[in-house]
Amino acid sequence: MPELPELNPVIHGKLRLALLSLLSGVEEADFTWLRTKTGSTDGNLGAQLLKLEEAGYVTVKKRFVQRKPQTLYRMTEQGRTALSEYVQALRALLGAAI
Amino acid sequence: MTTDAEQELKDRLSLIENMIAEGRRTTSSWGWVFVLWGVAYYVAIAWSTWGLAGPIWSRNYYLAWPVTMIAASALTVFLAARKFGRQPPTTIGRAMSAIWVAMGISMFVLLLPLGISGKSEQQVLVAVIAAMLGSTNAASSMILKWMPQFACAIVWWLAAVASIFGSVTQSTVVFLVAIFLCQIVFGIYGMIFEAHLRKQRGGSHA
Repeated sequence: MPELPELNPVIHGKLRLALLSLLSGVEEADFTWLRTKTGSTDGNLGAQLLKLEEAGYVTVKKRFVQRKPQTLYRMTEQGRTALSEYVQALRALLGAAI
Repeated sequence: MTTDAEQELKDRLSLIENMIAEGRRTTSSWGWVFVLWGVAYYVAIAWSTWGLAGPIWSRNYYLAWPVTMIAASALTVFLAARKFGRQPPTTIGRAMSAIWVAMGISMFVLLLPLGISGKSEQQVLVAVIAAMLGSTNAASSMILKWMPQFACAIVWWLAAVASIFGSVTQSTVVFLVAIFLCQIVFGIYGMIFEAHLRKQRGGSHA
């Protein structure tokens, strides 16, 4: 029997998965936009984004726009590869069910 | 694998698809721009045609096109910044801006010297404008994979051909009809389509 692939635990969290998927469709996104799209709280969102940053899946850039601080997140190549591998693993696990 | 575990994995897959689509949807909601530019074209045509009989400020009819086009550009940038200022940039969004801005610059660079030099024959002028709008709409429709916009491109290309073979009056009528179909009608269709999409989308939070 072929060995089933393991799912990347960093990506498997529901909110982290949503964040990486959102970032894969845009060049970069600010914290407020990500919060609106995911419906998450500031604290939870910040914590999950930090985990993705520590894993090297996203990069963070801080700047001021009209004197207001803005935090921008961008998906890295490593993050894109990890998401792609996660989707492949998911499809392999589901097999004929999808 | 249990049914619950299988369902959870399917939910994850569906979450990925929904969120990728959600991120890419930021490029929609541009129908109003078509309507705005349609109205701007009509204002410029009316000013350049009947300006001499109107109030004193409108008698500088040669300013009709440059002033209206610059005003429409400024209004588009202002409204777009207010509407999409906080939305993240996407590759498709950048491609769309690039082709429309490039077309706008080309038209300005071409039409302004033609107007100043007086070397403009109306039928040829309308054909050039229509052909440029046709190619921009076609490129945009291919990027967005949106067939109704390609229909607009065909209308513009047909208008370009009709203008060359028609009289001055026929060329004017063709231009007015093409503006009505491809800017006003298509813009309103775009706005309705986008509103329908927004309603369909509803909440897709993680």
